[in-house]
Amino acid sequence: MKELLKNLCLLNGISGDEGRVREFIISQIKDHAQLTVDPLGNLIAFCKGKPSKNRVLVSAHMDEVGLIVTYINSDGTLKFDCVGGVDPKVVFAKRVRVGDQSVLGVIAHKAVHNISKDERIKTVPFENLVIDIGCESREQAEKLVRQGDSVHFVSEFLEFGDGFVKCKAIDDRAGCAMMIKLIQDRPEYDTYFTFVVQEEIGLRGATTASYSVDPDFAFVLESTTASDIPGAENDKKVCELGKGPVVSYMDRHTIYDKEMYDLAFDTAKSNNIPCQTKSVIAGGNDAGAIHISRGGVRTTAVSLPCRYLHSPSCVIKQSDMDNAYKLIKLLLDRTYNK
Amino acid sequence: MELLKVLGELCSAHGVSGDENKASLIAADHLREFATVTVDAFGNVYGHVGEQDENKQTLMLEAHIDEIGYIVTYITDEGFLKISNCGGTDDRAITAQQVSVLGREKLPGIVTSVPPHLQKDSGEDSDDSFYVDIGLTKQQAEQLVSPGDGVLVENKLECMQGHLVTSKALDDRCGVAAVLLALDKLKNKQTSYNICVLFSAQEETGERGAKTGSYKLDADLAVAVDVSFAKTHYESEDTTGILGKGVMIGVAPSLSRELSDAFISTAEKCGIAYQIEVMNGRTGTDADQISVTRTGVKTVTLSIPQRYMHTPVEVIDLMDVENTAALIAEFVQGRCEK
Repeated sequence: MKELLKNLCLLNGISGDEGRVREFIISQIKDHAQLTVDPLGNLIAFCKGKPSKNRVLVSAHMDEVGLIVTYINSDGTLKFDCVGGVDPKVVFAKRVRVGDQSVLGVIAHKAVHNISKDERIKTVPFENLVIDIGCESREQAEKLVRQGDSVHFVSEFLEFGDGFVKCKAIDDRAGCAMMIKLIQDRPEYDTYFTFVVQEEIGLRGATTASYSVDPDFAFVLESTTASDIPGAENDKKVCELGKGPVVSYMDRHTIYDKEMYDLAFDTAKSNNIPCQTKSVIAGGNDAGAIHISRGGVRTTAVSLPCRYLHSPSCVIKQSDMDNAYKLIKLLLDRTYNK
Repeated sequence: MELLKVLGELCSAHGVSGDENKASLIAADHLREFATVTVDAFGNVYGHVGEQDENKQTLMLEAHIDEIGYIVTYITDEGFLKISNCGGTDDRAITAQQVSVLGREKLPGIVTSVPPHLQKDSGEDSDDSFYVDIGLTKQQAEQLVSPGDGVLVENKLECMQGHLVTSKALDDRCGVAAVLLALDKLKNKQTSYNICVLFSAQEETGERGAKTGSYKLDADLAVAVDVSFAKTHYESEDTTGILGKGVMIGVAPSLSRELSDAFISTAEKCGIAYQIEVMNGRTGTDADQISVTRTGVKTVTLSIPQRYMHTPVEVIDLMDVENTAALIAEFVQGRCEK
């Protein structure tokens, strides 16, 4: 699954530009499922198994956060904005790749020597930053990039420490990787899988995909913020790496189905799988769209705790991914004929 | 000499102030092609070029070998490394960076970023310290890391548009490269001066290597080759140099006006593009120390224009390095004299 995760993370696909990710996923699952791509670009995969009492959906999003070129300045620099929730702090002094030609750019500001003491600790907001691709004029820049071009973080896939991995886009290529593996492992019963677009700009892909599938039960595979870092009080850590998948009772978009929440913890406990919940009601994911689709869907989110979420350096622990995979498989088995 | 290749090697080398050994050795290897070389315990690299003629004055070509970075000060109970700056780092530029910790072995790590829910309303972090996540427990970390180990972002040299390149440590490895390139141009040429070279340690922490190094070399004249501010999107051209418009010749109360003028006249005579950089006192470079060595040394600064100084995404134009080397070579051959 690690190799799969690496391949997925290194693909560039900000919200609205998920094509490369979708093509790769299709290449991985086309022999195992019936595939359709809907008008928004969602990939819907149906795995035929035994018929079951309930129609079950598993969903993860293909898009990642990033930046978009909004204007080409006369001095050849690029004005940009964020796509999805990006803290301007994490793009400062980073390398990026712009557009179809993957042009190398850097983002920084006035040298530290030439700013006031106050400015030295202040985050420079997006509206005051530009991407420097080394062009001297708009005319030169226009040969390489266009307004509306996607901008991706440059980030190496790194394995480090005691079983940790770091890359951009782990949110939510980790969910995609787990779904690909579930499909390749052939579920026992009929199962729908949706690889959706545009989660980061408002759960939009999941809205149409869950309407199309019309499930009774849904499972969202996600990455969720973990701030188990120095300086964070225990109740502010949200969740911690190495303590297993996160099953939430509530976030900013969803109050989760209580029975399914309990079932997840029962299942984890009886199978000795570590499992945790969030200590802060924060964030949200495609469950927010899915659980209110049509007449309502009983929805569960199984997430990987992820440090530095929405930065070029998302960090997860491999054991959490393995445990999340085990848990979701067992949970599915308990749901098909519930 | 292949500038891009040599500069790439120099930039890749580790040389956080106080721990320049690796960078010093690589610079020494390249210098050996042109000079008799020694490296001292301070990390300074010394070179003497060709025969020393007692009737000639000695001219020192100088650039600093160290780079800004961070240093480990503490290992937290969670196994994170608390770091402090080494030189005038841009602290806006460190969040969510992948770094290398130069412990007993080289360890990759990620600088933590504080998620939005832990940030104060002012947008500032609740804790102004920086921590590196190396994915180890305190016990594991203590086997491999100790306070005092260097930490840096390892952005390797990459080409951008035109002759622009971006890397960490271009400040001041491009100065080192310019000195080497000048010596390459001077091979088998008659010179008006005895030439010696200093690649100094610890410029970024207070021009300390230059102090001891220029004492040892006891030159009559000195050229300090460093970087200076180039115009970015954020500045007007009356406050900075311009990338690609040639070497910036320093004019300042602390520099030798005679030497500045001699370089300007050489540039004029030889048709070498240059810019004038006026500073109103000291220069903030090794020149400040060199000029007050022993009984005094006539010193000038030659600066290569640079964007985003003291970040991992510094940008220079290779043509400015070529042009700096050309000017040094012409000056040393006595081209300013009629």
